[in-house]
Formats: sequence, C-alpha cells, structure tokens
Amino acid sequence: MLCPIRPGDRPAAAPSPPPDSPGALKRTRGPGSAWRRVGWIAPAGAALLLTGCGQQSTLDPRSEPTREIANLWWAMLAASAIVFFGAAFLIFLSWLRRRKEGWPLLGKGDGLSTGLVVGFGIVIPIACLIVLFVFANLDVTKATEAPAQSTTSMTVEVTGRQWFWDVRYPGTGAVTANEIHIPVRTRVNLVARTGDVIHSFWVPQLNRKIDMIPGRTNRILLYADRPGRYRGQCAEFCGFQHAHMAMYVFADPPARFRAWLANAARPSRPALNAQQRRGQQVFLSNACANCHTIAGTPARGGIGPDLTHLQTRTTLAALTIPNRKGWLAGWVLDPQHIKPGNKMPGLNLTGPDFQALLAYLETLR
Amino acid sequence: MAVVATPEAQARVERLERIWTERPGLLGWLTTTDHKRIGILYFFTTLAFFAAGGIEALLIRTQLLGPNGQVLDPAAFDQVMSMHGVTMIFLFAVPISTGAFGNYLLPLMIGARDMAFPRLNALSYWLFLCSGLFMYVGLISGNGPGAGWFNYVPLALKAYSPGPGIDYYALGLIFTGISTTATAINFIVTIFKMRAPGMSLNRMPLFCFAFLAVSFALVFALPALSTALIFLELDRLLGFHFYDPVNGGNTILWQHLFWIFGHPEVYIIILPAFGIATSIIPTFTRRRMVAFPLVALAEILVAFIGFGVWAHHMFAVGLSTITDIYFAAASLIIVVPSAIQLFAWITTLVTGRPTFKTPLLWIVGFIVLFVIGGLSGIMFAAIPFDQQLTDTYFVVAHFHYVIFGAAVFPILGGMYYWFPKVTGRMYYERIGQASFWLSFVGMNLTFFPMHIVGLLGMPRRQYTYPSGLGWTGYNLVESIGAYLLAAGLIMVVANLAVSRFRGARVGNDPWGGDTLEWATTSPPPPYNYAVIPKVSSPYAMWDREDREQDALRLAQGRQVLEQGHETPVTTVLDADWDEIVDMPSDSPWPITFALATSGIFAMLITQHFVTAAAFCGLALLVLAAWHNREPQEA
Amino acid sequence: MSDLTRSMEATGAGAAARVEQQRRALPNGVWGMALLIATEAALFGTMLASYYYLRFQTSQWPPPGIARPEVLAPAILTGILVATTVPMFLAARAAGRGHARAAMWLLLVAALVQGGYLGVQIHLFLSDLHKFSPGQTAYGSVYFTILFLHHVHVFVGIALVLWLAGRLIGGLTNYRLTATRAIAFYWYFVNAMAILVVLTQLYPSL
Ligand code: HEA
Ligand code: HEA
Ligand code: HEC
Ligand code: CUA
Ligand SMILES: [Cu+2]
Repeated sequence: MLCPIRPGDRPAAAPSPPPDSPGALKRTRGPGSAWRRVGWIAPAGAALLLTGCGQQSTLDPRSEPTREIANLWWAMLAASAIVFFGAAFLIFLSWLRRRKEGWPLLGKGDGLSTGLVVGFGIVIPIACLIVLFVFANLDVTKATEAPAQSTTSMTVEVTGRQWFWDVRYPGTGAVTANEIHIPVRTRVNLVARTGDVIHSFWVPQLNRKIDMIPGRTNRILLYADRPGRYRGQCAEFCGFQHAHMAMYVFADPPARFRAWLANAARPSRPALNAQQRRGQQVFLSNACANCHTIAGTPARGGIGPDLTHLQTRTTLAALTIPNRKGWLAGWVLDPQHIKPGNKMPGLNLTGPDFQALLAYLETLR
Repeated sequence: MAVVATPEAQARVERLERIWTERPGLLGWLTTTDHKRIGILYFFTTLAFFAAGGIEALLIRTQLLGPNGQVLDPAAFDQVMSMHGVTMIFLFAVPISTGAFGNYLLPLMIGARDMAFPRLNALSYWLFLCSGLFMYVGLISGNGPGAGWFNYVPLALKAYSPGPGIDYYALGLIFTGISTTATAINFIVTIFKMRAPGMSLNRMPLFCFAFLAVSFALVFALPALSTALIFLELDRLLGFHFYDPVNGGNTILWQHLFWIFGHPEVYIIILPAFGIATSIIPTFTRRRMVAFPLVALAEILVAFIGFGVWAHHMFAVGLSTITDIYFAAASLIIVVPSAIQLFAWITTLVTGRPTFKTPLLWIVGFIVLFVIGGLSGIMFAAIPFDQQLTDTYFVVAHFHYVIFGAAVFPILGGMYYWFPKVTGRMYYERIGQASFWLSFVGMNLTFFPMHIVGLLGMPRRQYTYPSGLGWTGYNLVESIGAYLLAAGLIMVVANLAVSRFRGARVGNDPWGGDTLEWATTSPPPPYNYAVIPKVSSPYAMWDREDREQDALRLAQGRQVLEQGHETPVTTVLDADWDEIVDMPSDSPWPITFALATSGIFAMLITQHFVTAAAFCGLALLVLAAWHNREPQEA
Repeated sequence: MSDLTRSMEATGAGAAARVEQQRRALPNGVWGMALLIATEAALFGTMLASYYYLRFQTSQWPPPGIARPEVLAPAILTGILVATTVPMFLAARAAGRGHARAAMWLLLVAALVQGGYLGVQIHLFLSDLHKFSPGQTAYGSVYFTILFLHHVHVFVGIALVLWLAGRLIGGLTNYRLTATRAIAFYWYFVNAMAILVVLTQLYPSL
C-alpha cells in the first residue's frame, strides 16, 4: 500500500469517503456534463492514480471548480492517449515494414506523404485545439475565476508569510493561523495577500491555486460541498521552509462553524492559577511578545502566528508537527531543529519558567 | 580528400595542409580559431557541466527518495536544485547544441572552411568557460543561488537572499549571455554568407535552418534576460527599486522579463535537437525528408511564435482573464509547427526503409518522448488545468519529457551519429543500443511518475515531503529511475570513450549520409574541403556526380583556393560567388579578452566597482590590440 | 571564376573601392554589425518597455517630490547628436569612393560633436543626480539606468570613430572600408535610439 494512513490523519468528524472520480463525474452539473461522454476512462485512470488518501489530490475534487478541472483532465488524458497511441502505432508500423518502401496499401508517392503530414500535422491538431480552447479556456475558466462580491456570503483574509499562514475573519476580530475554518456548502470569498515574498494559496480539492504577490490583492472562491478536512500547501517557492508551509481547511457544519468563530473572536481567558500567571509573565517579559499576539494581553507582536487560541489548532508551525504538549515544548525549546531556517529563534528558557510558560500556552483555547 | 587522383592534386592538398595546420600542443588549443577544435572544446566542457548538473540531480533524487530525507538541509537543497536547473539549461543544453554540434557541423554542412568570424568564435568559447566556472565558484564556496532557476523576486532581493548567491547567478548569466549572443551572430552571418557556391537557401540542409532559427531567437530573446538581470543587480548592489513595490517597483516586471526570454529559450533548446533529428532520419531511412519546405517553415515558425506565449508561465499570478486567454491561445497555436515536424519525421520513417541502428533508436525514442511531453504541454495551455497544476511535479514531468526526452536524446543520438566523422572510428553498436534502452527505461521511470505525484498534489521545489499523502512510492520509483538513467548515460560516455581508441577505423562516409560533412575525411582536415564543393540539392552527398566533379576540380586545381586562409563568400539568397576572403589564423587575443572580462565580473561580485571599471579599460585595450593586425597584412 | 575579387588583396584605396563596387552582398563585417545592432535594439526595447510598464503600474509619475524633467536642453542636445548622422554618412560614402583623407576628417568632425554632446549630457546627468537619486524610487531607477545605457553607447561609438580615424591615417584598405560602413551603421542606430530615449526621458513633461 503506497499510502499508510497515520493515525489521526483524518478527523473523526468527517471521514472522507472512498475516492471515486467516476462518481465525481456523475455528480457533475452544467457545462461539466459535456465531459460525461469520456467518463469511461476515469475508472481506469482512477485505479492507477488514486492511491487512497485524497487529502491533497487534485483527482479527488470536493467542489464545483475542482470537479470541472478534474473532468477536464480526464478528457484531455483520453484525447492525449488516442494521439499518443496513434503516433506510436505509426512508428511501430515503420518497424514492421522496415524492409519495404512506401505506405501499406497506399504505396509510394511523395504527394501522398505530404498530404498526410498536412492532415495529421495541421488539420487534425487545429481541430482538436479549437475544441480544447473553447471548452477549457472559455467555459471551465469561468468556474475558477474570482467570485463576484455579491455571490459570496463571507470573507476570509489569508496572508502568506515565511513560512506560515495568517488567517483573519474581517468584521469578527477572529484571528488564527494555518488552520482555516469555513462553513460547508457556503461560498467564501478568500482574499490572498503576502507579508513578504511570493507565496501561492492552494487547496487542491477545493480550488485552483492563486499566487500571493507583494503589492497585489488576489481573490478566489473557497467552497467545500461536504464537511471535512482538506490539506493545502504553499505552491510558489518561497525559501527554506517552502516545504513546511502547509495548511488545513476545515469545512464545518454551520452550527459547529458558528461556535468556532464565536470562540475565535474572543480574547484569551485570563490566567487562573499562579503557575499560569507566571507563565504569562515569562511570555510577556521574553521576546515572545515582540513577535506573537495574544488578544487580551499586552502581547501584540506581528511577526509570528497569533497564539490567542493556539490550543484550538491541531498542528504547529504550518502542519510541521502535531499540536501536543511534548511537541509544543520541543518547538518552543528549539524551533530551528524542528523547522530549520524558520523565523522563530530558540530562546533558551529552562526549569520552572519553561514549565510555567507551557502551562500558560496550554490555556490558550 | 581521401582519394587524391593526381600528383599535382597531392601537391595542392599538401599546400593547404601547410597553410591551415595550427600550432601543435596546448598553445595550439589555447589560441585556436578552428571551428572544429572549438567545437570539441565546447563538447568536453559542456559534458563536464552535464555531469555536474547530473550529480546535482542525483542528489535531489536521493534527498527525495523517501519522506523526510536527511541528505541535504534546506539551504543546500535550494542551491543544488537551482544550480541543477541553471547548469542544465545554460551550461549544458544550449552550449552543447550550439557550441559543440553547431560549431563543429554547421560550416561542414554548408561547405565552408570556417565560421564567418573565427576569432569571435574562439572568444565565445572562452567567455562561456569563464562564466560557467564563475557560477560554480559560487556553489562550491557554499554561496550558490537558492531561488530556483527563474529566481523570482522579491525572494531574490537582498532582503530575503542576503548572501552573494543570487549575484553569482545574475552576473554569471549576463556573462554567458554575451558569449551566447556572439555565437548566435556568428552562426547567422556564417549561414547567410559562407554557404558553398550553389547552395541557395532552399538547398540548405534542415539542420542549418534549425540553427538559423535558434540564432535569431537568441539574438532577440537574450536581451530580455539581460535587462531583467541588470535591474536585479542594480537593486541588489546599488539599492535601486525596480522590483520593490514599496518604492514604486513591481515584482511582476521580473516575471514578464524573465519569461519573455524564458519561453523562447525552451524552443532554443529543442530546435537544434529537431535539426539533428532531421539529419539522422533521412540517412537511416534511405529517403529524403517528407514535406521539406513545410518542415523548414515550421522550424522558423516555432522560433517566431515562441516569443508570443510567455505569460503561460504566469496563469496563477492573477493577470486579467483576457491576458490569460490570449496567451493560452498562442500556446495552442505553437503546437501546429511542432505537429508538422513530428508527422514529417514519422511519415519519413513509415515510408522509408529504416535501419534501426543506435542513432536512429535515439531519434525514435525522442519522437515518443516528445509526443508525451508535448501533450502535457498542451494541457497546460488549458488555463484552469494549469492554474491547478502549475508549480507541481506535473510541470517537472512535462519539461523533463520535452527537455531531456526531446532535446537531450537527439543530442545523444547525434553523438553516436557523428562520432565516426569526428574520430574516424566506429562505436560499439551493441553497447550503443543497450545504452539507449537503459536510458530510455530510466528516463520513463524517473519522469513518468512525476505526472502522477503532481496530480496527487505534490508541489515542486520542496526539500522534503511528509508520508501519508500517497507520494512515497512514486518518489522511490523516480529515484531508482534516476540511477538507471545515470547508468545509461555513463554507458554512452564510456562506449564513446573506449571506441575513441579501440573502435574499428571507418572511411569518410560509414552511413551513406545525406549532407556534405560526409564528403570530407574523418576526421576532417583543418581546411574542411580541399575543393570548395559543388552543391545542387539539400542532399549534397546523394548527388554522386557532384562529388565526382569535386575530385576532378581538385586535379585541375579549380576552386581549390590554396593561396592563404582563403574561403569563398557568397550572396545571401542564391549563394553565388561574391568574393574570396582571407580568414584570420590562430590568435592569442580571444582568451586574453575573456580573462579581462572575467576580471570585470570578479570585481563586480566582490563589489570593487572602481577596479571593475579599470578592467573594462583593460578589456578595451585588448580589443584595440586584437584589431591592430588586419587580415591582409597576415 | 578567375575574375573573382580577392578582397584581402585590396590594400590600396583604389583597389578597396573597386572591391566595394563589385560586391553584390553586404560584407560580413556589416552583417555582423547589423546583428549586433539588432540585439542592442532589443535590449533598449525591453528597457523602454519596462519604463512604461512601471509607469502604468503607479498612479503618480514622476512620484511626489520629484520635479518633471525640463525639456529644452535634452531636446536640443539630441537634435545635435542626430545631426552627426550626416558626417557619418558622408564619411562612409567618401570611403566607398576611396577618399581616405576626406573620410577621416568627416569622422573627426562627427567625433567632435558627439564628444561635446556626451560632455554636456554627463553634466546634466550629474546635476539630475543631485536633484533625485536612483535609490529613491523606481522612477529614479529606470530614469537613470536608461540614460546611462544610452550614454555608454555614445561613448563606445566615439571610441570606435576615433580608432577608425586613426586607422585611416594609414590610408584605406578593404578592411578599413568595411569598418567605416559598419561604424557608420552603428551610429545611425545610436542616433535613432537617442530619439526614443529622449522622448521617454521627457515623457512626463510632454
Ligand atoms: C524543450 C523545451 C520545451 C518544449 C519544446 C516545450 C513545449 C511546450 N510547452 Fe513547455 N515548458 C518547458 C520546456 C518546454 N516546453 C519548461 C522548461 C517549462 C517549465 C519552466 C519552469 O517552470 O521551470 C515549461 C512549462 C510550460 C508551461 C507552464 C507550466 C506552468 O509552469 O504552469 C506551459 C503552459 O502552457 C507549457 C506549454 C508548452 C506547450 C504548449 C508546448 C508545445 O510546444 C508542445 C508542442 C508539441 C506537441 C503538441 C507534441 C507533438 C505534436 C503532436 C503529437 C501532434 C498531435 C497534437 C494534437 C492533435 C493536439 N510549458
Ligand atoms: C536540460 C535540462 C535538464 C536536464 C537534462 C535535467 C535532468 C534531470 N533532472 Fe532536472 N531540472 C531542470 C532541467 C533539467 N533536468 C530544470 C530547468 C529544473 C527546474 C529547476 C527549478 O525548479 O528551478 C529541473 C528540476 C528537477 C527536479 C525538481 C526539483 C524540485 O522541483 O525540487 C528534479 C527532481 O527529481 C530533477 C531531476 C532530474 C534528473 C533525475 C535528471 C537526470 O536526467 C540527470 C541525468 C544525468 C546524469 C546523471 C549525468 C550523467 C553523467 C555523465 C554524462 C557524466 C559523464 C561525463 C564525464 C564524467 C565527463 N530536475
Ligand atoms: C523573532 C520572532 C519570534 C519570537 C521571539 C518567538 N516566536 Fe514563536 N513564532 C515565530 C514565527 C515566525 C513562527 C512561525 C514559524 C513557522 O511556522 O514557520 C512562530 C511560531 C510559534 C508557535 C507555533 C504557532 C502555530 O500555531 O504554528 C508557537 C507555539 C510559538 N511560536 C511560541 C513562541 C513562544 C512561547 C515564544 C517565546 C519563548 C516565541 N514563540 C518567540 C516568531 C517568533
Ligand atoms: Cu510559501 Cu512556498
Ligand atoms: Cu513556456
């Protein structure tokens, strides 16, 4: 099995169903259905291509745009297969007839050969290309264009930074990082910006990618037609930790989402016991506070991810490590070991101070 | 020529030998202006760079062999990955086809005795060598460029790449650019003015059409890169703001400039390969190319349309939909000339009597791989699909199929095909075929699975990847494939290396080739042809009576030109005799000038701008000295 | 083919001129120069394109705090430089007819004017540098870069002309004749570029 699924890879909430690209085709509505005719190739291809975990696969679409793109792919694959085997057959023919000159049946004649070059090399390609152009670039593109403002019911602002994602919900004050929550079956207007170099926002199962470019604001539709957790990753090379700049999009049922948002909008709870208070002091008195924000405290740093609700996240450092106590401790002690080159220095805290800090971070939910 | 009929002919040949033979020994190589020796220098240099780029590739593959690889740290990986791309494109693919194959074969094919500007030709080589070493100084000193081969800003600006790595990249590429431009200009003038009398443009081999197209593409594409790089260095070294949006600059400007160069570049890489294919296929099918004029036209068209498609590398940037659609359409149109050529080759194969010797095998392999790579290219011209799969391994798969499969395979086939001409010996056929099959299997094992991991969402340029996303198995296969491929290529090199000394001796024309180079001895004499050959068709070697004519003329001493470094210059279209010019003989100045130029760049990278200016002055002085001696005073 | 010209034997003015008249195609040297010009033109092309690209990506041009360039001096200077097309052309023609001396003097006249032009331009360049710096905004960056590129071309041109004039003292040969034509060609190009460059430089004030 190419893809051993690590325990905890899939949230119990949304076990994603067995990958079924042909199914995807049947669900297709509108223009996409033009592709149904080529649906037959999908199962074959699916067998070859879908190795179980569709977590980040473009072939396991979970929204209209990606479904249309996937169909487009299967169609192009079918056409390409025909072209390829046609060409391969001709070459094989030349091997079979390597001792005879001229065409089988048709005999010699340069005029004839030239005619065939014109036919195969000009006429047929142009025909194929026009078809492709009309379907792909005039029709399917519409599905992947930035959504008209009026058609979306909420906005999420994502800012790419070396090497994590800063996520904000305008109008609610909710801020988080690397783990985006959206209500399922809701058209979300995603605003993509960058804080430093070019990144690219990409959640393959939900939509095409969109670059995050300095001095520009790009928009894209974010839509999931069933609850679940969708993995995404930065797709434009952005330096050392480009490889560890991943994210999750959680498509929650509306009620669950509202609850999450309400909590995310709240400032952090005040520290309860002495140790936690000490931990907070450690956080504020060390450099942490220069880089991190914890709403409800004087910590207002803008360099690192917002930690106000750290514990509501399942991973740390843009999906580099799971968010569990041991890992968190390891991260704070030596982030450079876990994610070499990232922008957070290891501040050698030790003993009770460190324990207190952890205890405090534990309370940020 | 091999068969020298009469004593007086013998005398003339000896005369030519005396006039044209260059200094022996190392000094001879350092001062040579003989296009064949320069070609050989290019060949070994580019091969060495190929080895370097290959080793980098193998490092990449070893790092990605399994999840969470530990072979390279992020910094090292980024440098290796970037230098792999830069080396393979700028120090291997382009210079081996233009520098090595073009230099050695073009003058032979058009029946000239040398390039139009022999010393400029030597200069190109020395500049190329210096610039290549210059960039590798960076990598070896741990300061390689780390922002990928297209080096997007702002990542490549001082703020995010403080070290000198990017400066090695930018200055190094400006440096090679000078060399490549010189070569291109040299080719164009050579093709236009130095063709043997009678070889009107429509009688010129398709190989030469390919190089004509490439040279023009280079002349107009490289400036865009130079501009981009100059802006970049001004930003980095002098704090200008071309690419800095905070101060009115623009990061997309880099992307436009780079790809305005970058896309023509990819056709610059593949056109020589097309040229090689069109010279091997007729020979091994015993048949003239089908649709000759169409193919010639297509070769020119590819180079031309290639300038209008660059933004298909930028579909994810969020340009206006209209822009995207225009460039997608252009990218589709460019398929047609490729398709024409493809089916011209196939039809020639089918209707001819092919003998599948090693060179033809590589060409057939090339056709198969080019179809695959080309078809995935078409898919990218479907905007939404590109927006989904750009910057994934699907792209890596596409361009290795077209670059390695479609550009490097013919080059390897060409090595086998012209090996007897260059060395006078034959390679080992069985080992040759084995090396092909090994490379072919390795190639597909390496790059085909990349399509799949791409579709499974694996972005490119990651120094590592987690398990559990379905990528693991495919990456393992890719890495194994890469090792096989390496073995295959080493087999090629080994085969040729051994044959060079042990191979059976062969005559002038072991294949019954169709173009002029087979008319002269193997290896060719310094003056290429004792008699300026008579040409009356693109398949000069198949016009037996013309070749007999040549022998006759030699005996009668007509069109021998043995009074100096003489060669005919002809008119552009019809190649009528126009004048006889005297070629400069070997000269120490090209290498001197190259060294002076290296001084400039060395001073720039160490930021000693005044000293750099001094070296500019020095370079000008060298130029003056160079032109102090006029040909006719020779 | 006995009547074929052996150009290298044309070491006298008369002979060189004869070769020149018999030639049917442009000599290789001129072809080489033509292609050098082609790629140089592409370089200018991309630089100027970048100027307008940057301009249309920003609202205010030149950016606040930077005065519009004055038109008069650069315009006049360019006019003068373009005028040197005439002596260059005449020099090439004189050489073509075998008049080495005449060609030389014409070249010197051209070089004199071009040198004057360059001098004044450098002065303007420096005084601009005092007003605003290339390190300030993209406008400054592209403004100074393009001007500098152009001035370098003028400088190289002058160097070529002087070198050639020096050669012509020793009389005319086929080689020098070709050189004259090539260098004249180069100057037509530089002058053409001068117009485009000055139009771009003054664009905000036009
Ligand atoms: C030798 C080099 C080479 C060649 C020849 C090509 C050929 C083509 N390439 Fe490719 N390309 C690259 C090298 C090359 N490419 C590189 C290096 C990159 C990546 C750069 C980077 O990001 O690092 C790239 C990336 C690239 C992209 C951007 C992908 C992305 O980054 O998002 C696109 C998009 O349109 C593209 C398109 C094409 C097309 C349409 C062709 C066409 O010319 C193909 C034409 C050929 C055929 C089509 C096959 C033969 C014809 C037939 C079989 C006839 C039958 C056809 C029909 C019936 C339709 N290429
Ligand atoms: C001509 C172009 C060319 C060629 C030939 C190759 C050849 C190979 N490439 Fe490369 N590749 C690129 C151009 C090329 N590549 C480019 C432009 C990029 C993009 C970089 C970027 O993203 O910026 C890239 C990126 C790239 C990647 C993606 C990196 C990433 O995105 O993280 C990978 C990964 O596997 C890869 C692998 C390989 C492999 C295994 C080969 C193998 O085929 C190599 C096999 C060759 C050898 C093993 C050498 C054989 C040895 C000899 C001949 C020596 C004998 C001679 C002497 C001893 C003197 N390449
Ligand atoms: C110089 C700036 C800086 C300082 C100081 C700093 N951090 Fe960070 N921190 C970052 C950055 C940047 C990241 C994101 C790293 C990445 O994912 O690439 C980060 C990530 C984190 C994360 C993971 C957040 C997530 O959701 O992924 C935690 C927890 C954290 N820091 C805690 C701390 C603590 C505790 C301290 C003080 C002891 C501290 N940081 C000091 C910059 C800083
Ligand atoms: Cu961010 Cu790659
Ligand atoms: Cu391209």
